[in-house]
Amino acid sequence: MLAAITVFAAFLVPLFPLSWVFNRLLDSLPMTTARALAVLALPQLGLLLLQYGVAPWALTDPQRRALVALAIFTALFYAFRALSARDLFIWTRLNLSAGLAVIWIAWAMGTAIPVLQILALTWSVPAALLTLLSGALAARLGGSYLGLMGNLVEPLPRLTASIVLTVLALLATPVFPSFFVLFGTAMQLPLSWILPLLLLLPLWGWSCGRLFQDLLFGAYRGEAVEDLSLLSSLMVFLVLSGLLVLGLYGSGGVL
Amino acid sequence: MDFIALGIPLLPLLSALTILAFLRQRKKAAARLSVAALTLAFLLAAFFLGRHLGGSGDVLMQAPGLWGSLWLDPLSLILWTFVSGISLIVHVYSVRYMVEEPGYPRFFAMLDLMTAVILLMVAAGDLITLVVAWFLVGVVLYFLLGHDATRPAAGRYAFWTQITYRVGDLPLWFAALVLIQSYHSVSLPVIFARIGEHPDVLLWGLPVPELCGFLLALAAFARSAQFLLHTWLPYTMDGPTPVSALMHAGIVNAGGFLFNRFAPLFEHAGWALHWAFAVGLVTAVVGSALMLIQNDIKRSLGYSTMGQMGFMVMECGLGAFPLAVFHLIAHGFFKASLFLGSGGVIGEARQRDGVPPDPVYTSVVERRPIKPSRLPWLVAASLTVLVPVIVIGLSHFFVAERLFYEQGVIILLFFGWVTGAQALFAAHKLSQKDPWRLMSGILVSFVIIVVGYTLISHYFGDFLYPDRSESLRLYEVASIQHLSFDLLALLLALIFVGGWMLTFFRESLDWGRRPGGRWYGLYLGIYALLSRELYVADIYQRASQILLHWSRRFNVWLGWC
Repeated sequence: MLAAITVFAAFLVPLFPLSWVFNRLLDSLPMTTARALAVLALPQLGLLLLQYGVAPWALTDPQRRALVALAIFTALFYAFRALSARDLFIWTRLNLSAGLAVIWIAWAMGTAIPVLQILALTWSVPAALLTLLSGALAARLGGSYLGLMGNLVEPLPRLTASIVLTVLALLATPVFPSFFVLFGTAMQLPLSWILPLLLLLPLWGWSCGRLFQDLLFGAYRGEAVEDLSLLSSLMVFLVLSGLLVLGLYGSGGVL
Repeated sequence: MDFIALGIPLLPLLSALTILAFLRQRKKAAARLSVAALTLAFLLAAFFLGRHLGGSGDVLMQAPGLWGSLWLDPLSLILWTFVSGISLIVHVYSVRYMVEEPGYPRFFAMLDLMTAVILLMVAAGDLITLVVAWFLVGVVLYFLLGHDATRPAAGRYAFWTQITYRVGDLPLWFAALVLIQSYHSVSLPVIFARIGEHPDVLLWGLPVPELCGFLLALAAFARSAQFLLHTWLPYTMDGPTPVSALMHAGIVNAGGFLFNRFAPLFEHAGWALHWAFAVGLVTAVVGSALMLIQNDIKRSLGYSTMGQMGFMVMECGLGAFPLAVFHLIAHGFFKASLFLGSGGVIGEARQRDGVPPDPVYTSVVERRPIKPSRLPWLVAASLTVLVPVIVIGLSHFFVAERLFYEQGVIILLFFGWVTGAQALFAAHKLSQKDPWRLMSGILVSFVIIVVGYTLISHYFGDFLYPDRSESLRLYEVASIQHLSFDLLALLLALIFVGGWMLTFFRESLDWGRRPGGRWYGLYLGIYALLSRELYVADIYQRASQILLHWSRRFNVWLGWC
C-alpha cells in the first residue's frame, strides 16, 4: 500500500516514465489559469501523498541509488527534450518536469516533506507564471509558438521582460531560489552522482539561449498588439521579487 | 571602516537598480548616475588598495548567512581597482558613443550590473559567492552582447558565449562541491588552510587538490577562451564596442584570476599546472596563427586576445602566477585602448588617407620609392637572436637572480627571447635608408620595455604574494624532471633557431607559395585549415544539430509529453 502511494505520488511530482501522465494532464487542461493552478497544486498534492507513502529512511541502499539515478535521468531527459520545444507552454512544462525531478533526489536524501513543499515551489511558481504569460502571449499573437516573429520586445516590452525574468527564475539562475535548491541538493549527493546532475547546467543554458534567441532577436513583422497591463507586470515583478528575497534569505536554510 | 568597502560592488548595483526602476526614460540622468557611481567605486577601490599598500592586512568580511563574504586581500584589491578603472573608462566612453542607440539607459544599467558582478566575483570570500558571481557574469554578458536586438547575429554570438560559459560553470560547481564535501567549509581561507594541513585527502584515488586543480583549470579555460573552448570569443564583436572593450579587457581575464585565487590549491596540483601549460601553449600558437590569417580586423583582434589568454594561462602553468595577473592588467589596458580607439581610427581613415595633399610629395613618393637597404644577414642574425637573450637575461639577473633557478622562468625567458627576436627581425625586414638608425632605435625601446617589465612584474609579484616561499612553491610544483626539462629546453632552442632560419630564408627560396612547387599542397592545406578556423565551430554546430534532431525525435515519439 505504501509503495502504491509512493508510485502514485510520482504521477504528480514527475518521475520518468510516470512524468508522461503529469505532462499529458497539464496539456489537456483547456484554460491557462487552470494549467497554472495545476502547475502549482499537483506537485504539492504529490508531496502530501508522499508523506503517507514509503519513508525515505526505509529505502535500502540499492533502492535509494536506483531512485536517485531515475530522478537524475528524468531531469536530464526532460531538460534535453526542452531544447527542441519552441512553444512556450510546452517548453515550460518540460523544464518544470526537469526541475521537479530534483525534488525526488532531495527526498531520497532524507529532506522533510514540509521543506520539500517549499523547494518544489521554487520551480512551480515561476512555471505557473510562465504558463500565465504563455497564455497572454497566445491571446495577443494567436499562439505561444516562438520563432516565427522575433524581437517581441519591440511590440510587447513588458510581456517580454516578464518572460525573460521568469525564465531565468525557472532555470536556476542565481540568486533565485531554484539555484540554491540545485546547489544544496548537489551538496547532499555522493560525489559520483554530482557530475551527472550538473549536466543540467549546460542543458538549461542551451535551452534558455534558444528560447531567448527566438524571443528577443530579429525583426518583428506582425501587427501592433496591446502589451501586458502595468498591473499585471507589477504582479509578475512582485512575485519574482518575492522569489529573489526567498533566494537571498532562504538560501542559508537550503544550503 | 572596512564596511565601507562593501560600497565598491554595491554602488554600481544600486545605480543599475535605480536606472531600471526610475530612469528608463531619462537618458542623461541615467548616464550621469552610472558614471558617478563608477567614479566613486573606483576612488574607494583605489583608497583601499592604498591602505593595504600602507600596511593594513587582509580583511575577511563575513556575511550573516552561509555565503556573501568578501575577502580583501592584495589580489582582490588590485583587481577591484583595475576592473572599476577599466569600467569607468568604458562608461565615460559610452556616454557619447551609445547616445544614438536604442535602450541607452538599459545599456548603462547592464554595464553597472556587469561591473558589480565582476567586483563581487574577484572579492568572493567563499565558494558559493564565487559560484553565484561566476554564473551571473555569463548571464549579464549575454544581455550586454545582445543589446542590439534587431541583429540576429548579435543574439547568435551572445548565445555561443553563454553556452560556453555554462559548460565552463560545470567544472567550477563540481570543484566547489568536492572542496566543500572534502574540507567541510565554504570559506576560501578556511579551505586553503585545511588544504595546507591535509593535502593528501583522496577522492577516486586522486588527491582532492589535484582533482580540483584540473576542474578549476577547465573552468578557467572556458572563461578565457582556451583552445576548443574558444569559438565564442572572436565572434563577440557583434556586441557594442564598449562591451567588446570591457570583455576583452576584463571579463575574459577571469581564468587568470581563478588560477591566482586558488593558488594555495595549485601548490598541490602539479599535473593540473602542466596541463594548463600545454593548453595555454597550444592556445597561444593557434590564436596567433588564426589572428594572422583573418581579413576582418575585429575578428583579428578577437584571436589576438585568444593568443594573449593562452600566454596568460601558460604563465600560470609555469608557476608564474603574479606575472599572469600583471599580464592580464597590462593586456586589459592595451586591448581596451585598441577597441575604444578603433572607431576613431576607422573614422579618421575614411576622412584622411594619410597622404599629404601635395602633388610634388605624391609624385616623389610614388615614382621614386626608397631603395631597400638591409643589414647583412650575419649581423642581422646576431642582433635579432643574441641581443634579446642578453638583454632579457641581464635584466632578470640584476632584478632577481634566484629566479634563474626556476624552470618556469627559464621557459618564459625563451618566449621573451622569441618575442624580442621577432620584433627585431620585423624591424630588420623594413626597408630603410639608414637600417642602423632604425635598429638602434628598436634596440633602445626593447631594453627600456624589458627592464621596465622585469622591474614592475617583480615588485608586483612581491605585493601579490608577500610570502616569497609561496611563489617559489608554485614554481617548484610546476617544474618537471631535470632531464626532461633539459631536453625540452633543447627542443625549444632548436625549434626557435629552425623557425628563425625558415623565416629568414623563406622569401629568397620562395617556399610553398608557387603553384606546382614541392610544398604548395601542404601550404594550401594549412591555409584552408586555418581559414576555416580548424573546423572547430563547424564540428560543434554539427554536434548540436544532431542533438537537437534527437531531442525533437524523442518529443515526437512521446507526443511532446
